[in-house]
Amino acid sequence: MLTFFAGVAFIRNIAGSLHSRLPTLGGASQQLSCLHTSISLNSKHWEKNNHKVYPPQLQDEPRRPAEVYHSRRQIKYSKDKMWYLAKMIRGMSIDEAIAQLEFNDKKGAKIMKEVLLEAQEMAVKNHNVEYKSNLYVAESFSGKGKYLKRIRYHGRGMFGIMDKVYCHYFVKLVEGVPPKPEQSTSFDQAKEYVQSLKNRTIIHSL
Amino acid sequence: MTTGKMAASITRTFGVLRNASCSSLKNSELVLDIRHPGPLFLPVRTKKRYFIPPAVGLKGKKEENPEVKARAAGIVFRQQYFERPINIACSAGVFDPYVPPEGDARLSSLSKEGLKQRTEQLRQSAASQLAIRKIKEHDSQFSTKTFAEQAQEIFIEAHDALTHFNKERLHSLVTERCYPEMTRGNRYKTIRWKFVESLEPPRVVHARCPDMVTKGNLYGQVTVRMHSKQTLAIYDRFGRLMLGSEEQPKDVLEYLVIERHLINPYSRWRLHGKIVPSWAPPKDPVIKTVAIPGPELKPWEEFDPLSYEVPKPAAVQWNK
Repeated sequence: MLTFFAGVAFIRNIAGSLHSRLPTLGGASQQLSCLHTSISLNSKHWEKNNHKVYPPQLQDEPRRPAEVYHSRRQIKYSKDKMWYLAKMIRGMSIDEAIAQLEFNDKKGAKIMKEVLLEAQEMAVKNHNVEYKSNLYVAESFSGKGKYLKRIRYHGRGMFGIMDKVYCHYFVKLVEGVPPKPEQSTSFDQAKEYVQSLKNRTIIHSL
Repeated sequence: MTTGKMAASITRTFGVLRNASCSSLKNSELVLDIRHPGPLFLPVRTKKRYFIPPAVGLKGKKEENPEVKARAAGIVFRQQYFERPINIACSAGVFDPYVPPEGDARLSSLSKEGLKQRTEQLRQSAASQLAIRKIKEHDSQFSTKTFAEQAQEIFIEAHDALTHFNKERLHSLVTERCYPEMTRGNRYKTIRWKFVESLEPPRVVHARCPDMVTKGNLYGQVTVRMHSKQTLAIYDRFGRLMLGSEEQPKDVLEYLVIERHLINPYSRWRLHGKIVPSWAPPKDPVIKTVAIPGPELKPWEEFDPLSYEVPKPAAVQWNK
């Protein structure tokens, strides 16, 4: 009977998916409405941002800061563990970020540091960035890569599908001083709260 | 033992699955007929939904060729050519380059000395005369007087095509050796170039007719001297000015090398390169600051910025 548990779970899933699929077999209009117009799995969109060319600026306009997009694909690390590091360096200047990652004990930190150094070199060489320290991390996040699947053997003849986890790491460096997050004092926050209470409109009243 | 058990359990689960799916199918078939006019038949066996991941590194692995498997499966690979492409339409460089005399830019052709210098030079060089005669054998319409203006037109058209980045036109106006030199690094940049005016009429200064590989394979290379006013402004990917300015025109003295594959009746005179003389003034610096690599120091040495002299490049004539 114990072997049935896995089996039952399977059946439920399959039956559920069958039921959900069958009604759509007849209606062709339903199928057309769920057409995907976005990019497929294999296209590398993040790197294509580097190929965007802006028209020449006029003399009056403020100087546009340079943006460099870089990524590394299929890193043998978990995306959730990578996220912690990515969240840590968001908004830091590049020197600070590299220093923090150098003395971090995680496996992903070493790989991230390599990616940041590559991006810095690319910025100076190809994207006309004047000073290599004048960059800050504007965006940094991790994404799921393509997993390999293996069997994990359990007792009593049960098995599970083990995922060999891979992740991608994306970073965007922007030229300039890192923007300071707004810090409001407690008094200001209290004032805003009181103001939001005062702004409420009371309907259906005298 | 565990694998046997696992196999048995798998087959049992799948047996159960099949029964369950059959029963669910029968119910849904009835539902289909009543509500929607769906397909008349459904597959007897449902789609395989269980997933067995591929076995990794079993002991005693036999080495099977993936190529044999692919061929058996029906995949056809295209034949790989390990060849290096050679271009015959243009020669690889400038042969016997023209060495422009030192005071070329300073003496104007209106003064007596300048005139003398200009008129004597082309007649003196015998090799150039020979080459011009050879060119006239193959191309009957060639004449040194009209060719210089033609060369200037080719130059202006080529640079216009570069600013608009019209690849096909550029290939027809510029040889294959010159094309990568003109367009390297320019793909994501905006170039604004304008030919303001020509300060002196262009002149043919030098000509050579080298034959490559076989004896009869003739290429004609003619050097034209041009003094003109041009404006150049290069903007990087973000629209920021990298080099030059759009309003300020500059006087430019250039020695253009124009080439044609004489034996080919359909060939055209195309820009092949430029000669930069050794006495040429240094170009304007790029707008951004660039770090020059410093001297190589041993671990115990210190860098002294005051006593260090930046090495200047040797003044050598080179072909662009």
